[in-house]
Amino acid sequence: MSGVSRLQYPTDLRIIRVMCAGRVDLKHIFYAFSKGVDGVLIVGCRLNECKFITEGNYHALNVALLSKRIMEHIGLDPRRLWIEFMSSADGVLFAETVKKMVKTVRELGPIGNGKVKERLDEVMRLIPYIKIATREKLRVKLTDPSKWEEHFTKEEIEDLFKNVPSYWIDPEECRACMACLRRCPVGAIDGGKKLIHVIRQEECIKCGTCAEVCRFGAVKKLVGQPVPPPPPEDMRTVKKAAEA
Amino acid sequence: MERQSLLWFFRRYQHYDVLVAGGGISGVQAALDLANAGFKVLMVDRRPSIGGHMAQLDKTFPTLDCSI
Amino acid sequence: MSYTEIEGIEGEEGNFTVRLLRKPRYVLEHRCTGCRNCVDHCPVEIPDVFNQKLSKEKAIHIYFSQAIPLICYIDPEYCLYLKEGKCGICADICRNSAIDFGQVPQREEVKVGAVVLSMGFDPYDPSVRPEWGYGRLANVISSMDFERITSSTGPYSGEILRPSDLKHPHKVAWIQCVGSRQVYEGSKSYCSAVCCTYTQKQVILMKIHNPEAECVVFHNDIRAFSKGFERFFERTESLPGVRFIRAYPQVVGEDPVSKNVILRYVTPEGKLVEEDFDLVVLSVGLLPPSGIDKVASELGIELNEYGFCKTNPFDFVEATKPGVFVSGSFIAPSDIPEAVYTASGAASKCGRLLGYRRNKLTVPKQYPPEREVVEEEPRVGVFVCHCGANIGKVVSVPSLVEEALKLPYVVHAEEDLFWCSTSGTKRIMEVVKEKGLNRVVVAACTPKTHEPTFMDSIRMGGINMYLVDMANIREHCTWVHPLEGEAAYEKAKELIKMSLARALLLEPLELYEIPIDKRALVVGGGISGMTCALDLAEQGHEVWLVEKERELGGMARRIYWTLEGEDVQGFLRDLIDRVYRHPLIHVLTEAKIIETSGYLGNFVTKVQSGGTVYEIKHGVTILATGAVEYRPTEYLYGKDPRVVTALEFEELLAKRDQKVLEAENVVMIQCVGSRSKERNYCSRICCGETMKNALKLKELNPNCNIYVLYRDMRTYGFKEDLYRKAADLGVVFIRFEPEQQPVVEQVQGAAERALRVRVRDHVLGEEVEIGVDLVVLAAGVVPAPDNQELSEQFKVPLDEDGFFKEAHVKLRPVDFGTEGIFLCGMAHYPKYIQEAIAQAHGASGRAMTILSKEKEVSSGIVCFVDEGRCMGCGACAEVCTYGAILMEETKRGKKPKVIPVLCKGCGLCNSECPTGAIQVKHFKDEQILAEIDVLMASDEELKDIIDKKIKQNKGAKAA
Repeated sequence: MSGVSRLQYPTDLRIIRVMCAGRVDLKHIFYAFSKGVDGVLIVGCRLNECKFITEGNYHALNVALLSKRIMEHIGLDPRRLWIEFMSSADGVLFAETVKKMVKTVRELGPIGNGKVKERLDEVMRLIPYIKIATREKLRVKLTDPSKWEEHFTKEEIEDLFKNVPSYWIDPEECRACMACLRRCPVGAIDGGKKLIHVIRQEECIKCGTCAEVCRFGAVKKLVGQPVPPPPPEDMRTVKKAAEA
Repeated sequence: MERQSLLWFFRRYQHYDVLVAGGGISGVQAALDLANAGFKVLMVDRRPSIGGHMAQLDKTFPTLDCSI
Repeated sequence: MSYTEIEGIEGEEGNFTVRLLRKPRYVLEHRCTGCRNCVDHCPVEIPDVFNQKLSKEKAIHIYFSQAIPLICYIDPEYCLYLKEGKCGICADICRNSAIDFGQVPQREEVKVGAVVLSMGFDPYDPSVRPEWGYGRLANVISSMDFERITSSTGPYSGEILRPSDLKHPHKVAWIQCVGSRQVYEGSKSYCSAVCCTYTQKQVILMKIHNPEAECVVFHNDIRAFSKGFERFFERTESLPGVRFIRAYPQVVGEDPVSKNVILRYVTPEGKLVEEDFDLVVLSVGLLPPSGIDKVASELGIELNEYGFCKTNPFDFVEATKPGVFVSGSFIAPSDIPEAVYTASGAASKCGRLLGYRRNKLTVPKQYPPEREVVEEEPRVGVFVCHCGANIGKVVSVPSLVEEALKLPYVVHAEEDLFWCSTSGTKRIMEVVKEKGLNRVVVAACTPKTHEPTFMDSIRMGGINMYLVDMANIREHCTWVHPLEGEAAYEKAKELIKMSLARALLLEPLELYEIPIDKRALVVGGGISGMTCALDLAEQGHEVWLVEKERELGGMARRIYWTLEGEDVQGFLRDLIDRVYRHPLIHVLTEAKIIETSGYLGNFVTKVQSGGTVYEIKHGVTILATGAVEYRPTEYLYGKDPRVVTALEFEELLAKRDQKVLEAENVVMIQCVGSRSKERNYCSRICCGETMKNALKLKELNPNCNIYVLYRDMRTYGFKEDLYRKAADLGVVFIRFEPEQQPVVEQVQGAAERALRVRVRDHVLGEEVEIGVDLVVLAAGVVPAPDNQELSEQFKVPLDEDGFFKEAHVKLRPVDFGTEGIFLCGMAHYPKYIQEAIAQAHGASGRAMTILSKEKEVSSGIVCFVDEGRCMGCGACAEVCTYGAILMEETKRGKKPKVIPVLCKGCGLCNSECPTGAIQVKHFKDEQILAEIDVLMASDEELKDIIDKKIKQNKGAKAA
C-alpha cells in the first residue's frame, strides 16, 4: 500500500518475501546480522487477523521477543530488530515504521566485524538448542501486550547460555552399536563397527537425540564442565561389544 | 439444416451455466463456489470494480479484521 | 464483467437469455495495466464516490486502489474531452494506447442455465430527511462515511478527522436506527440488523485511534444477536468514556463558531438535555438496492413488501421464479456470514438444477510437457519492465538490463514497456523456448498482481511454473523512492541480484493430487442435516445420514409454526419422507460415531447403529448436530406446573389446551438462560419466538392479557413487524435490567395457590405485580451435550460457549479450518429454521466444491521432510493447525509425514524445527538466506557465493 499511495521511505530497506510471518526463523534473523545486515524488520499481519488459522504472527512475535533478549545478551543492541503488525492497507504505518527504524539503526551505526560477529556465529550454532529449550514459550499466544516485555527475561537467557550442554560419549560405556551414529540429524558422530563412537563437538547441534537413543547410557550430557578429549584414533576399539 | 441453425445458435450467444448478478461478498462467494464445482460463471457488477460495500468497510466486527 | 447492467432476462430455468449493457469505460480493458500514469496527469478533480465524496479523485481513475479489475475508467460527466472535446492528455500519456474516447454502450446477450441474484443493498441516505442536517452540517456524517474515514485508504489516510476543520474529534455521538424501525419519520419499518454491532465496532476503532475520546451511542434496543456479538457489546460498553443512552435525539443545529453539532434528547429518567458533539455519526440502515423495482420486473421476479427479494418462505435462497436464486442482503438486511453462506447455498441450488451440465462448458487449459531442468547448467532470463513510466521514469531500465547481463548465469535480459501485457507474456514464453531458459526473473511489480501471469507464461514455454521469481522494483522501489534516482537505481540493481540468487535455487515443484471419495457423511438428522443430505444426493452423491435419536427431525419436531405462520410439521413430514425415499441416502438412526480418521477426500468413520458397526468411507463430513433447549432452574420451573418453556407453550397452543384458551393473564419472560454469566451469548431466536407465541395466543384467546418481560427486544430484520403488531394488539412490554430480575412466586394463603410475578418497570420507575395463570420462559438454546466428544473425534474446535467454531466467523461461516469438514444449523449457533436451511444449503454448496471433482489438486508450495536430519521431536506436527503433519513410526524412530494437500505452506513447522529437517518448498532456508548472502556480497564474490549455494542445495538434495 505504501507503493500504491506513493508514500516515501528511505532506500535502505530490502524486502524478502515469506508466505507467513510464522516462517521467519530465529536462524534468518541471526544469519542476517552475522552477514553484516544492520537492522532487521519483521512484518506480519495484524494480531488476531490471521486469514487462516495459523496465527503465525504470534509465533513471529515470540521469535522477535526471544531474539531481542539474545541480542541483549551478546551485546548487540536489540533496537536493531523491529517487529510490526499491519494489514495490506496500512501503507502509512509501513512507511512510518521504516522511517523510524532506519533513523534508529543509523544512529546505532554499522554492526561491525568485531566481537559481536563471533558471538553471532556462536548463536547461529546454538539455534537448534535454543529452539528446543524455548519451544513451549515460542508457542504461547501473547494477546496481552503488557506481558510481552517479560515473556523472556534477561536471567532466563543468561541461564540458557550458561547451561549449554555438551554431549559426550563415554568410551568406557560405548558398545559401538551405531544407534546414535545413524540417528544423529547432522551426522556429527564418528565411529564404526567395534569402534568407539565420538561426537565431533564443533558440528554437534546439541539436540540430544544421541543421548535419547543410546540403550547403554553411554552418552552423557555435560553442563558447565569441559568435554574430555576423545580417545586417540588408534585406541578406539570397543572393550564391550554390543549384544546382538 | 438443423446442424446449421445449431451452429448459428452457438455463435450468436456466449454460453454460461450461471449468471451471478452483483459482485459483492455474496456474489463473489457464489461465483467462486460455482466455478469450483465445475460451472462456467458470468459475474456482472454495475460498478467499475467488484467488491461491493464490503470493500468500503475498514474492518469487520467482531474480529476487527480488515475487509480486503 | 464489471460496469455492466442487466437489462433483462427471458426464458426459463435451464435456458435463460440475459441482455446485458456494458457501460463505456473509455479505456480498453485488455490494454490498461493499471499503471495510473494517466491519473497523475488528468487535470480534472472530482469527488471520490468510493470515499463517500469525502476526498477527490481524477476524472480518469481506478475505482479504488485494490479494485478488481485494476484498470481505469473515465467518468464522462466530468471528462473535459468527452464533454467539450478539449484535453485528451490521458490519451497522449498512455504508453499502451488504452484510451478510447469512441467507446459506446454495448449490448450483449448471453445464455445461462440459472441466475443468482446477489444485488446487495444501498445504505439509507439521510439527506432525504433535512432534519438530520446531513449534507448541511459538516460534522454530521453517515456510518458509511465513518467507515471510509477510519480506513487507511480513506480520505484522511486513516486518521479520524472531522470534515469541518480536519481536526481530531474528541466527543463523538452515534445515533442508531436512522432509516430503520420507524423510529424516526420516514424510516423503514424493519430493523436493519447490522447497525448495532457496526456502531460498536466503530466506537472501538474510535477508542483505538484516540483513547481519550468520549463516545456516546444513542440507541433503542441493542440487537447483539449473532455469534460473539454479546461479548462484543460488553467489551464496547465497558470501555472508559463510552456511554450507551437509550434515547432518540434530535439534531438541533450547530454551533456557528466551533461547528459542533447540538443534539437534544430526553434521558431515560425523563430529563430534557441539550449536548454538543464534535462529530455525529448517523447509523444508517440498509435499503433494497436502488432501482430494484425496474430490475425486478425485467427479471420477472417478485419483491416483498419491503422491496427486498420475495423468497420461498422456507427456503430463502429461492426467488419466486424457478431457476433464479438469491443470496446476501438482497434476501433481507443481513451480515457478512449470512451473505457468504446464502451464496454457497445458492450455488448448491444451481448445482441441483444444472448437475447434468457440470464440467461441460469449462475447458481446462492445455500446457506443453515440462522439460527436466534440475541437472542443467542454470540459464537465467531477466525481464525488466518499464511499467509505462512507473519504473522507467525513476530508474534507467536499459542500464538495469545491461547490468543484469553481467550477472552470473544470466544468458538473456530484455526490457519491455509492459511485460504483463499479452504480447509481453507471449514474448517471455518464446524466449524460454528459444534460449532454453530454466530460470526466469521478472523485475517489475508485486508478485501479488502478476506472479500467476508469469508462472503461466513460463509453463507455456515448457518449464515448471515455479521457476520464476519476481523482483519488485515498482512498489518496493520506484514508487516509494521517486525522488532518489541514484539510490533507487542501486536498490533496483540489488533487488534483481537478490531475485536472481533466489531464482537459481528454485526447484521445479509438482502439484499434488489426491483422489476424492464421492460419498458424504452427514452427522445429525435434523432439518439442517436432512436438507444438506438431500442437496448432495440430488447432485448424485451417496450420503450417509447419521442420527442419534430414533427418529429424524431434531428440534423441529417440537416446532409447529414459523414466525411467518408456515406449517412446520407438514414441511418436516415431507422432508423426512423425501430423505427416506431417496435411493442415495442411507439413514442410520440411534447411531453413534465410534471413531473417525483420514483427511479431505478420504475419511473413514465407524458408526454403530442397531447393533451393527458400519465402516463408512467418505470424501466430506458435515456436522449438523443441532443444539438443545435450556432447562431452566429459575422462576419456579419444574416446581410449579404453570411455569413452562416457550417450546412447551407452543405445544399447548398447538393442542388448543384449556390452560391456554382460558388463561386471563400470561407473562412471558425473556433471556432465560441466555445473556448470563454462564452463557454469555444471546440465543437469537427467543424474542421472535415469543412474538410468534404471543400473537398466536391473542388469536386463540383475544381477551388474554399478555405481558412480555424483556431486556432488549431483538426482533431483527423483518421480524420487527411482529413486535409492532404485538404491541398494537395490546401486548404489554416491560423492560427489566439484569440486576433486577423479575420474581415468580406462589402467593401463600389463597385456596389454590396463586402465581404472581413481580418486576420493576423502568418506564414507570416502580415495581409491578401481576397475578398470572401461566408463565412462559423464553429458555435459551444451549450446545448439544455431545459436542465435546464430537469435537475430539473430528478434531474440530468448539468456541467458548460450546458451539462448533468455524474457520472464520465472517468469511468462512460453514467451513472448519480442517479441510473437507463443514458445519451448519444450530451446531454453529442458535438460528431460525429458514436460516438453518439456508446454512445447510451453504454447507452442501461448499461440500460440492470438493465432491464435484475427481481429485483435489493443491499448490506445490508445501513442506517436505529430510528424515536424515529429523530428530523426531514432533514439534512440527504439534504446531500445524491444519493437521497436515502426522508422526509415523519408522525404523529410525518417529518421523513426520506431510499430507501435501492439507499443507498451506505457512512454514510454521519450518521455524519450529530445531534441525531444519522439515522445510517449506519454494521458501526453504537456503532460498531465503541466499537473498541475504548476495545482498551483502561484493560483485567479485558474487559468482563464488552463488556457486557455493547451488552446490550446497544440490548436496542437500542428494542427501
